[in-house]
Amino acid sequence: MNQIIGTSVSRKDGRAKVTGTATYGAEHQLPDLVHGYLITAKIANGRILNIDTQAIERSPGVMAVFTHENMPRVFTPTNDWANSQIYETRLPLADDRVHYGGQIIGLVVADTLERARDAAHSAAIEYQEEPVLVTAENATYEDSPPWFGEDFQFQEGTFETGDFAVAAADAPTTLEATYNTETELNSPMEPHALVAHWQGNDSVTVYEPTQWVRVSQGTYAELFGLPTERVRVVSPYVGGAFGAKAFPWPHGILCVAAARELQRPLKVVVSRRQMTANTGHRSQTEQTVRLAANTDGQLIALEHTARTCTSPVEVFSEPCTAVTPVMYATPNLRLGQELAVLNVGTPTFMRAPGEAPGMFALESAMDELAWELGLDPVELRLRNETQEHQRRGGVFSTKNFAACLSTGAEQFGWSQRQMQPRSQQQGDRLVGWGMAAATFPGYRGAAMAKVRLLPDETAHVLTSANDMGTGAYTMVAMTAAENLGLPVEQVRVEIGDSIMPDGGLAGGSQMTATLAPAVMNACQAVLETANAENAQQAFASLQESGRAAYEATGSAAPGEEGTEFTFQSWGAHFCEVTVDEDIARLQITRWVSVMDIGRVLNAKTAASQIRGGVIMGIGSALMEECHFDPASGHPVVYDLATYHVPAHADIPRIEVTFVGEPDLNFNPMGVRGAGEIGIMGVAPAVANAVYHATGKRIRSLPIIPDKII
Amino acid sequence: MKNFTYGRASSVEEVIEQANRDRNAMYIAGGTNLVDRMKAFLDEPSQLLDISRLEMQSIERTQDGGLRIDALVTNTDLANNANVRRDYPLLSRAILAGASQQIRNMATVGGNLMQRTRCAYYYDTAFACNKRQPGTGCPAINGINRIHAILGASDRCVAVNPSDMSVALAALDATVEVQGEQGQRDIPFVDFHRLPGDTPERDTNLEPGELITAVVLPPMAFAQSGVYLKLRDRASYAFALVSVAAAVELSGDQISTARIALGGVAHKPWRASEAEAFLQGQTPNQSTFEQAADIALQEAQPLAYNAFKVDLSRRAIRRALAVSSRGGGIA
Ligand SMILES: Cc1cc2nc3c(=O)[nH]c(=O)nc-3n(C[C@H](O)[C@H](O)[C@H](O)COP(=O)(O)OP(=O)(O)OC[C@H]3O[C@@H](n4cnc5c(N)ncnc54)[C@H](O)[C@@H]3O)c2cc1C
Repeated sequence: MNQIIGTSVSRKDGRAKVTGTATYGAEHQLPDLVHGYLITAKIANGRILNIDTQAIERSPGVMAVFTHENMPRVFTPTNDWANSQIYETRLPLADDRVHYGGQIIGLVVADTLERARDAAHSAAIEYQEEPVLVTAENATYEDSPPWFGEDFQFQEGTFETGDFAVAAADAPTTLEATYNTETELNSPMEPHALVAHWQGNDSVTVYEPTQWVRVSQGTYAELFGLPTERVRVVSPYVGGAFGAKAFPWPHGILCVAAARELQRPLKVVVSRRQMTANTGHRSQTEQTVRLAANTDGQLIALEHTARTCTSPVEVFSEPCTAVTPVMYATPNLRLGQELAVLNVGTPTFMRAPGEAPGMFALESAMDELAWELGLDPVELRLRNETQEHQRRGGVFSTKNFAACLSTGAEQFGWSQRQMQPRSQQQGDRLVGWGMAAATFPGYRGAAMAKVRLLPDETAHVLTSANDMGTGAYTMVAMTAAENLGLPVEQVRVEIGDSIMPDGGLAGGSQMTATLAPAVMNACQAVLETANAENAQQAFASLQESGRAAYEATGSAAPGEEGTEFTFQSWGAHFCEVTVDEDIARLQITRWVSVMDIGRVLNAKTAASQIRGGVIMGIGSALMEECHFDPASGHPVVYDLATYHVPAHADIPRIEVTFVGEPDLNFNPMGVRGAGEIGIMGVAPAVANAVYHATGKRIRSLPIIPDKII
Repeated sequence: MKNFTYGRASSVEEVIEQANRDRNAMYIAGGTNLVDRMKAFLDEPSQLLDISRLEMQSIERTQDGGLRIDALVTNTDLANNANVRRDYPLLSRAILAGASQQIRNMATVGGNLMQRTRCAYYYDTAFACNKRQPGTGCPAINGINRIHAILGASDRCVAVNPSDMSVALAALDATVEVQGEQGQRDIPFVDFHRLPGDTPERDTNLEPGELITAVVLPPMAFAQSGVYLKLRDRASYAFALVSVAAAVELSGDQISTARIALGGVAHKPWRASEAEAFLQGQTPNQSTFEQAADIALQEAQPLAYNAFKVDLSRRAIRRALAVSSRGGGIA
């Protein structure tokens, strides 16, 4: 084994993407296609009194208008996260209520996009406005419900072991600090979009980017009362998602419903502006961390509480405290999560949901404690390592956190650090060094893949999984190539279609751990079918026998290993910032990330994933924030000019190194995920470096010039 | 979007006549701002008069040793022009601090002067806006106004002009040449853009139908030490929170002339004339620059979210003056 696994292979889909031949959701061309454009609310709370649909219908090219008064019937899905799920459990156009600014309140269908858009824009709508609440400080918080329902007990809002209050009271050192993060937008490059094509009333094809083809299929089937196999979801390419394209959103349901009424293929593209309210975001958070420690830095007690916000029509709490029991050992641990309702769109998963903002609070607080104790922050972390998940139970199957810290420190030159803040300078700029830990759970689901060996000496792998830019195509090809004994170029991969075997979810960083073992099994199965040891032998016997193909399907799923072990990835970031304090100009100048993600399947794309995570983390550290107008409740951040993500000039060279070992308790390939761990700990590493540079502790993200001067 | 016609202009005179015949016609040059505005339903012209192929693409020396820059010179060509880089480096730097390479390749001088504010309330028709629809109100005044004006605003409008190039042109005492039905006239740069007052719908003093034909720079030896400092939310591709174009002329160890213009703080590029007057005859040191910066900002009236801009502007002025008095370069 391992001729190919672990090497660097360029993306199989790279050429199609850069030459524009990769077909994204909205790019599927169908004859007789018509165009829908969403009508969105100009108030953020209240009722619709009237929509002048007759005027809209008279607008040139308009074929139909859908509002709450003529919304076609759809069924409420079971929403069990396994067979069906919609992001916002209020169905689109369910009634005359407006819950948040920019909410979808109608759909215009016309012969061209421009005409649909024009009619939607000039729609005359009367509202009855009610007071809006978009300011978290004025909201009422309540204990937040468990995440994902009762099955995921360990994620529940409150948790306590030991007795925090008693333990903290006697501790020699205590620290309490409150941290804030702002509303963040997932902002994938590809906007949300779909084309729905019905064949009569009893079968539909949906061309839509999705992170979970099979559940998307199941959900549309339930919504429209169809047998699952009568729905086909086609999603060969996903132009970024970051959590916001796993399940149907209201616009998708509305598009499929309208297409059935019209019996024409219908395309709906959500404009960048409409995405702010209607395709998810990461809630703002307010978190308080209290630490109590011995003089040698041993944690005696740790409390982490978080407040996050949701929309009036969905319960989604950003699980900031999920990361806390994983990181540092303490006999007295208390966690709490509260949730408030605001008149804002429905929040959802965004790369490392909860974990990323949670880590900002925890790793900032650990840095503060290190300063308080006069300890090296690397050393403080080493002294408090835990070997088990303190909430869920289970020892970590593999853990090379210490190696991440030591390798990173060495590469970065951490030992050269001048301890005192404001003590390093470069010209008239202050230089600061900061570090923070990273961790992310190893998740894995069930998946299947089909492998075909063909007489032209290629192998063909088919699975419904998808590639949202992560490198899944290449990962599948490499796994097959390795197991069949073929060069990667001889493997063709087709993914992202529900007619193919269920390839699982690209979310929670689990696609590789889920799918690679299934591909491996499928390869072994097809060689058995061919009675061959490798693909060459199988090809030879195809030649001899004149057979068209050997074909086999393989599957893989987690077993009981989760009862004994907890699977977790680890990492550390080290960074350097320079701060021109007088004019509040901050630049990140060096970055070193060291990661333990189990076996690294494709060294190139795995490092890319980490870099992408670091870049997104830098965005959250320095610039990303969405605000809502306090009076009207409408978002005032709604495109890529008002919502800043990093430009090249903001990003230094990012050195990525992998350490650790294959996690063979987790799956036979020994791989965990790389998708989310990269963003973990990035923002606190930056904030900690800013403190080292300036002596100023910035506890609210993003670190914008306002906060530096 | 209302249907519109599109036509290529064949001569300056003809296109001006077309624009005057139909007051809903609009000139389009690079299109990098107008097309965005049309997509956002901010402008609904009846005709687009494409001026981009007119013979107004050159940069020439004037008799007095200044430069005459045609209105259709692209931002890229202007920034890279050897004379501009040598004699007016702050103009080159201001342009390169704006937008992206691709946009600068399309964007023109005239279009840059006429680009409209990036106020989020103006740009989204879900909001009322006095600039977009006079008389409907200004929600930015009590809204999220972090990027809004601290100088020269009115109770009708607190938007800021987004242009970087214009800040440098204001400091350089440029003149805008415009042509209308009545012929040609010159508008001093500082009078080209307007404060919002009661008519925030008007950004400039260009009359309807008038065409910008050129921008003229007077000779200014000390512009070689000029500085452009832009402070923003990311290192590239963001509009200025605050920017400063400054140039200091020294004679012996005294300042003989100073130019300061601010961007991102007002409805127009903001010339700090009082601070300039103060600097005349002063010794170039930190305390002088501090006093000048204080004078420049003494009338500042911050809103709920932008008080930091007052301080940031002062700091930027001090830095720009200091760098310019040392001979210029990158601030
Ligand atoms: C994403 C993005 C980022 C940007 N960032 C920056 C930045 O950081 N700093 C900055 O300064 N700019 C920035 N810009 C603005 C950019 O510089 C302007 O869009 C550009 O300069 C406009 O020039 P244009 O030729 O494309 O104008 P057009 O879009 O063609 O026209 C703009 C306006 O000018 C009028 N007009 C054009 N030419 C004339 C003329 N000769 N006479 C009279 N009226 C005329 C048009 O009618 C229209 O109203 C950015 C733009 C974008 C899209």
